[in-house]
Amino acid sequence: MNDTPPLSIVKYLRSFCMADNILTYLHIDEEGNLVAWGGYPRHYGLDNLAVGQAATEQLFFLEGMLPLEHSQILKFLALEGGQVAHIHLLPIRSSTWVLLFDASQAHDQQQEMQQQLNELSILSYRQSRMLQDLEETRHKLLEEKQKLAEANKLKGEFIAGLSHELRTPLSSIVGYTKLLDESPAAKEQMSNYLGTVQNNAEQLLGLIDNVLDQARLDSNSVEIKPVTCHVRKLLDNLKQLFFPMAREKRLNFQINISLNTPDHIQIDELHLRQILINLMTNALKFTHEGEVSVNVSWAANTFYFSVKDSGPGIDKAQQEKIFKAFHRSENTQHVQGAGLGLSISYRLVEQMGGKLEVESSLGQGATFHGQVYAPQAQNLSIDHMLEKSQPQDNIHDPAATQIQVSDEPKKATILLAEDSRGIRMLMELYIQEGGYQVLSVEDGEAAVQLALAEQPDLILMDMQMPVLDGFHAVEQLRSKGCVTPIIALSASHIDLDKQQALSVGCNDYLIKPIELQTLLTTLKRFLEPS
Amino acid sequence: MIQKKICMIGDFSVGKTSSVARFVKQSFSEKYLTTVGVKIDTKMVELPNQEQVKLILWDIAGNNALTTATASYLRGAAGYLLVVDGTRLPTWHSAVNLQNMVQEQIGEKPFLALLNKADLVNQWELTQEELNPQLQQGWKMIKTSAKTGLGIEKAFSYLAEQMV
Ligand SMILES: Nc1nc2c(ncn2[C@@H]2O[C@H](COP(=O)(O)OP(=O)(O)OP(=O)(O)O)[C@@H](O)[C@H]2O)c(=O)[nH]1
Ligand SMILES: [Mg+2]
Repeated sequence: MNDTPPLSIVKYLRSFCMADNILTYLHIDEEGNLVAWGGYPRHYGLDNLAVGQAATEQLFFLEGMLPLEHSQILKFLALEGGQVAHIHLLPIRSSTWVLLFDASQAHDQQQEMQQQLNELSILSYRQSRMLQDLEETRHKLLEEKQKLAEANKLKGEFIAGLSHELRTPLSSIVGYTKLLDESPAAKEQMSNYLGTVQNNAEQLLGLIDNVLDQARLDSNSVEIKPVTCHVRKLLDNLKQLFFPMAREKRLNFQINISLNTPDHIQIDELHLRQILINLMTNALKFTHEGEVSVNVSWAANTFYFSVKDSGPGIDKAQQEKIFKAFHRSENTQHVQGAGLGLSISYRLVEQMGGKLEVESSLGQGATFHGQVYAPQAQNLSIDHMLEKSQPQDNIHDPAATQIQVSDEPKKATILLAEDSRGIRMLMELYIQEGGYQVLSVEDGEAAVQLALAEQPDLILMDMQMPVLDGFHAVEQLRSKGCVTPIIALSASHIDLDKQQALSVGCNDYLIKPIELQTLLTTLKRFLEPS
Repeated sequence: MIQKKICMIGDFSVGKTSSVARFVKQSFSEKYLTTVGVKIDTKMVELPNQEQVKLILWDIAGNNALTTATASYLRGAAGYLLVVDGTRLPTWHSAVNLQNMVQEQIGEKPFLALLNKADLVNQWELTQEELNPQLQQGWKMIKTSAKTGLGIEKAFSYLAEQMV
């Protein structure tokens, strides 16, 4: 059965100088049947070899290999049993010889080396990935940091600008109030001073409104309340407000209303007014010669407005930024502006379901176009009604309430407790304007004494006063049985303060600065109940 | 009895040995023991037509390209599995590379790409965009995990069906 290998095979083996190491050989005929074997096939787990049977069914690694055209070497082939061999396949005439050389030792050495290499390679891959991740994270953090720094810088600049802007009208108010206080000014001069004070106060209020609105917009708590708005009246009012500034700068200033604009539209008038004021303030501020014009029109339930100026213009890059909070264009640093007006207008228009856009190029002026949904309001003209209204008509529209300067002085006496000299002066003027008599004191203690002694018809009590503050003064008065209506005056917007004032016995609460009209309406409510 | 030779192809440490171990012995080891040369295993499978096929599995040492040694193992293969480690993107590029070389060596044969280590989702690096070009070429792929056994049985029986 075991035939000897032919000479060619022996020579082949000799060439490896390892004839002694040969453990196993197998001979396969043309048909693929095992015809002979020798050595130690069991060493490789090749048990029960059956001569005369198909070789591939006994030696699975031969599947698909035969017939061979050339010799083949399969290095490091681990058989099912686990032993590793180099397998040489040699075609001799039309048969095949299969030689198995033990390679376990070499395999183990190679294994160790390859293992180390592969593990190292995986490790360095993981490491580089980690470094990459770290680098990405670092980069992101750096970007965040830069953004924060930028935002911080803008806020810082904004606050610096804001305090400057607050200081300017405030010092003017203080100055003129002093003048009013000290000099026995002529009536005309006095009203000039007062006009200046009022203008400055309005400017301050506008500024504070903007700041508050920005905060509200940031916290998404702006409420849009459409009301019936008399468009022409609103624009007339704005014209009056801005005309002096335009005249001072010698600008051509126009407000045009297209004919098809209805008298009344349904829109959030307060916010529309604020938007227009912001846009017009902006245009007037930045324009030093030429014109500022406002155009409004209405079509298909939409109110269109545009504010055009011949100012320095805004280049494309800046156009993207101007609607962002705290931004001020670089070439306008020298011009006043809290940098909030445009951003607020933009966001307000958005909240109102419309859009605001700018059309401009550097040196060509700028036009701000806006549009807001505003259906025509019912043709019920309050204005009309006012003109024809009988005295008994009860119109509860505060905007329509006329300031009443009565011919007959009312006899009612009002006690005013206010420590700030300026405000006291102003309030006294207001009270007298309403036709009432006024008694003034500077602190809570004096207020209590005088109230008990003089029995005024109404008390206006500042809440923050020296010696005895308003809260305690009211408490004392109420505990001593005083039933006179007391109206708290306070600079605090905080609800808690209002609640506290009402709880100690105040009948109403007015927030400073108090406008003439508000004060008179309130006084009237208590002193002349219909 | 039908016998078919299947080669396991792919970069090192992608899970060729583990996939065979899962398929043949239903076992898994966390420990990495690299394969040197090639390891032969066999497993009987039954095709849907109830025909029995003996799969002769050639678990070849991993590499990112075909070496002369590995090329010699391919002779007579009826099909092959291209194994990829989803947590190491470069092993996908190796697979794409290897597929071309294998095809050159033994001609067009049925094959299937195993996107292995599917259990390691949060370390996964392979993305759909990476796979798209090959999917468009008609490559068949399956997500597998030699650790949990996901897709392994399916992968082998799919290939077996394709080969007969
Ligand atoms: N978590 C997880 N680990 C796996 C999976 N498959 C393999 N591994 C691990 O990956 C490492 C490599 O697995 P092997 O099967 O040895 O990889 P190979 O492709 O045979 O590697 P080479 O023989 O070097 O080419 C081992 O530590 C395995 O435990 C899997 O599906 N999930
Ligand atoms: Mg392996």
